Amino acid sequence: MDIEAHERTVRSRIAEATDADALRAIEREYLEKGGVVADLLASIPTLPPTERKAAGQGANALKRAVTEALESRRAALDGAQLEAELAAPDFDPTIPARPLDAGSLHPITQAARRLEEIFSSMGYHVLDGPEVELDHYNFEALNIPKDHPARDMQDTFFVSASGDRSDTSGALVMRTHTSPVQVRAMERLEPPFRAIAPGRVFRQETTDATHEHTFHQMEGLVVGDGISVAHLIGTMKTFLREVFERDLDVRLRPGYFPFVEPGFELDARCPFCESGCRVCKQSRWIELCPCGLVHPNVLRAGGIDPERYSGFAFGLGLSRLVMLRYGLDDIRHLMGADVRFLEQF
Amino acid sequence: MLISYRWLARHVDLEGLDAHRVAELLTLHTAEVEGVEPFAPALSEVVVGHVLERVQHPDADKLGVCRVDVGAHAGGTEPLQIVCGAPNVAAGQKVAVARIGSVLPGDFKIKKSKIRGVESVGMICSVRELGLGDDHDGIWVLDADAPVAAPVGTPVAAALEVDDWVIEIDNKSLTHRPDLWGHRGIAREIAALTGRALRPLDTALPTPSGAATVQVDVQHPGCSRYVAVAIDGVRATESPRWLRMLLLAVGQRPIDLLVDTSNFVMLDIGQPNHLFDRRALGGRPIVVRGARAGETMATLDGVERALTTDDMLICAGDEPVALAGVMGGAGSKVAEGTTELLLEVACFDPSVVRRTAARVGLRTDSSTRFEKHLDPLLPLTAAGHVVQVLRSIQPDVTVAGPVVEGGTWTDPTRTIDVRPQRVRHLLGTPVDDERIASIFESLDLAVERRTPDTWRVTVPARRATKDLTIEEDLVEEVGRVLGYDTIVSTPMLAPVAPAPRDRRRELVRLLADRLSGTGRFHEALTYSFVDESLVSALGLGALPYAIAVNPVAEGMARIRRSVAPSLIGKLETNLAQRSEVRLFEIGKGTRPEQLDERGQPHEVHRLALVLARANASGSPSPSATLGELQTLLTDALGRTGAGAVDFVAAPVVTPDDHAWAHPRRRMAIQVGGSSVGLVGALDPRAAARLCDGADVAVAEVCLDALLELGLTPPSYRPIPRFPGVKVDVALATPGDRPAREVMDLIEKAGKGLVASTELFDVYRGEGLGDGRKSLAWHVVLQAADRTLTEKDQNTFLDRLERMATQAGAELRRQ
Ligand SMILES: [Zn+2]
Repeated sequence: MDIEAHERTVRSRIAEATDADALRAIEREYLEKGGVVADLLASIPTLPPTERKAAGQGANALKRAVTEALESRRAALDGAQLEAELAAPDFDPTIPARPLDAGSLHPITQAARRLEEIFSSMGYHVLDGPEVELDHYNFEALNIPKDHPARDMQDTFFVSASGDRSDTSGALVMRTHTSPVQVRAMERLEPPFRAIAPGRVFRQETTDATHEHTFHQMEGLVVGDGISVAHLIGTMKTFLREVFERDLDVRLRPGYFPFVEPGFELDARCPFCESGCRVCKQSRWIELCPCGLVHPNVLRAGGIDPERYSGFAFGLGLSRLVMLRYGLDDIRHLMGADVRFLEQF
Repeated sequence: MLISYRWLARHVDLEGLDAHRVAELLTLHTAEVEGVEPFAPALSEVVVGHVLERVQHPDADKLGVCRVDVGAHAGGTEPLQIVCGAPNVAAGQKVAVARIGSVLPGDFKIKKSKIRGVESVGMICSVRELGLGDDHDGIWVLDADAPVAAPVGTPVAAALEVDDWVIEIDNKSLTHRPDLWGHRGIAREIAALTGRALRPLDTALPTPSGAATVQVDVQHPGCSRYVAVAIDGVRATESPRWLRMLLLAVGQRPIDLLVDTSNFVMLDIGQPNHLFDRRALGGRPIVVRGARAGETMATLDGVERALTTDDMLICAGDEPVALAGVMGGAGSKVAEGTTELLLEVACFDPSVVRRTAARVGLRTDSSTRFEKHLDPLLPLTAAGHVVQVLRSIQPDVTVAGPVVEGGTWTDPTRTIDVRPQRVRHLLGTPVDDERIASIFESLDLAVERRTPDTWRVTVPARRATKDLTIEEDLVEEVGRVLGYDTIVSTPMLAPVAPAPRDRRRELVRLLADRLSGTGRFHEALTYSFVDESLVSALGLGALPYAIAVNPVAEGMARIRRSVAPSLIGKLETNLAQRSEVRLFEIGKGTRPEQLDERGQPHEVHRLALVLARANASGSPSPSATLGELQTLLTDALGRTGAGAVDFVAAPVVTPDDHAWAHPRRRMAIQVGGSSVGLVGALDPRAAARLCDGADVAVAEVCLDALLELGLTPPSYRPIPRFPGVKVDVALATPGDRPAREVMDLIEKAGKGLVASTELFDVYRGEGLGDGRKSLAWHVVLQAADRTLTEKDQNTFLDRLERMATQAGAELRRQ
């Protein structure tokens, strides 16, 4: 068979091939070891010298032609297959994706982190204090001496380290607020300083949808030169802008807490409404946190001269913020460790 | 505390200030207002009716059929026919009529009805039906004590001039203000805030008309002043309507003129007082003394109370007649028909009263006020006030003898030096001297400008007992009267410096992120108190615990030593919902056996994890969760960069804070060679009791220990330039040979070429021989300087085979 006949035959076979296997068989038959092209090349030495050159060129031309034809047929077949795949009707877009059984961070943690980020960015230390606290830090150093009526404002768990139920020494309590960290901070840090202290606090009261015996607060304390009420207002406005991502009006009104003088309740414009809603009880204000200028007795208890430095303190209700943020209707979820609650955050 | 708007208006002109405005002024300048409500709104719903006739109901003995003129009404002007069962209804009376459509307390809507066949169009109301008290013996006869001038059809509230608003003030926000525990004090605030004058109040004691005398012997230091006034000619009649209505508005039940007047004066000027039956004292002296151990007395509420030596008593002779400052004695009730009284107005020590009230559980209006450090000047004022009020109602009341006093008191009036510059400085607002001075004066704080920079301010007694004692207190007075809304928000000036690094928080954050992320754990928070039954189920009961001596519930007194038990306690409810539960908590434990020099127990910071799978049939091997938890711990703890994570056998110790762990399936968690915690399977006995035998793995990591190792960023290792060779090997060994030894063998056989080993199968069974097991490993061999060949692999396998044989194991070639 001459080269041209070979070429005609192989071209038509390639054109008729319908899959990759058939093409592969042709490729083996013509191009690989012991194939047609190899045979042709191997037969060259047996030819008369004058024909050898032409025979060599012919074999190489055949090899090129087969290679090219294979390649273009393969491309055509692939294209057809791809088109068929693209057009296949076997895909159901409504098959539900499998849910990921992911983990979660507690909403209190998330809120505390956000606040820590905000205050850290303003140079505040983040401090910690013990949950079982000395009466000294929880009350005495905060200008709440024994028999002070303010002690009744906080339903205190009294603690016995010896495990004795009849222990009435009252020297240890479950801290009723994060404020004990104030004097601890003053003992540790040199003024001027700024600090926050998130953590759990305890009140001896019956739990229901709005009351928990264990909840979370975040104390804030700033001590420095010439710290004033105007600074307190400025700080709270800045902080609220970061939390609610817009400017909220705030107002201070008198509030009594023995460890601040003057003492305030800080209200913010309700971020959830324009004209009254359930959250703000139609008042358009939400009570956000007690605050005030640090009482000189508290500064002194922390070893700071009130004539030299002044300061302000505030106590944010972390649990309350979380409840506001997510619209929680039952505070008990926060300490309930129910996965059906936790996985939502 | 409830404040009546109408009552306030007795003391200050409220023209132009409605109740809501008053509440707003108080909110912004004085104290927290909890609500403003109309008083007895039903009084505006019902109208004055004139009973024209009452005839017997034809079918019911006890019912009457009345014709009542109510003026014009929806149906015309004809008198209404109303069926009424009250025994006291009679023609000629002015009564309160609820017409069709009126709504009475309890959402009770009046409808036309037929009662035993007779049509009834409306209702004649009793006091109770209007929400004014408990009296339900009959209808309320409006003109019983005084004629009603208003025409029929006028709303009762307007006709009787008893329309009122009730402002509720949060007691806590008055803790420091003894002067605000009465209407006059609140009125004084409104006067100061609006620049109005307080109306004068005549509290002068009339000249005694006789020489009745009583001896007062104050033996207890807790009574700084005791004022006794003998009063004659008082009859315990029903109080006039204005008095009853004011008392009702602030939630007090009117009793009779004596009790009502005493209460009125307390609620008016804040001074508790007590009226004794002078005859019952029988001429004995009034003695104020401490109670004796074992002594008892019955209080007015009929309860027999055991006393302690902390309590202070008012006695007639030696017989207790009142628990000082808290409550009168049962025997001190004024007997019917008595006209001779002894008025007691005293000043008691706040701590003594507070302790007694707290101990006997009686927080009365009286004790609440005494706890606030009342002004010792007030008793005499109050005594005069009581007499004046009684005389205004019963003009023949007289003071029967000279005022008798006991006790030693000092006038608390004080001066405070204040620097106007410091006021401006602390408030951060440029309020000028004149404004500061005018604010002080509006509050009756006399200013003496000793120098331009330092003023001497005189604080009146009513505010000097506890409230205003230092300069900062006066700063507050200026600030609150000025209005805090006038202070302009100002940014703080401080050196720009970042907060210092907080490694504990970084560690906690890193672990929480990793565990909630790749670990797929939910972060939980649980109580610091642990349940008694949980503690005992976990075998942790014998350890020392700090306890709450007044726990929120029995069995919730113990304060947790560590965190894992609390999480274990949350498994059962969660496993009822999910077949797999993964929880972690970062929290604190309290160790009372380690007290510092001040008696504070040591606090430990812990990370606890539980991984639980419900015990379903066909579940994997019993401790599948344990291996998984190890994997997750290795990952999370490894991220801290504190060192390689490893697990080593952890024997049971006593006492054991990890008693929740299986006695054998437990391991110490090591990071960089240091032990940082424990991981184990939950003890099967505990698992059976607490979570239906679920497969549970538990770990507790000591964050303090981890922190000590230091956090370091991961160190970089060069990526191998030459490909490694993967070899799978299986080694059969005696069943009790630790996997660690087999792993060591593999590493030794590799002569430094073993880049990693991973156990992928443990097989016990046929073909291995008794008690033997086969451990199958993926091994990666790698060299830093060349591509390994088949030859290296064979050398390794040959060496491993030799070494295994020497060690009593056998390489099972695959
Ligand atoms: Zn709102």
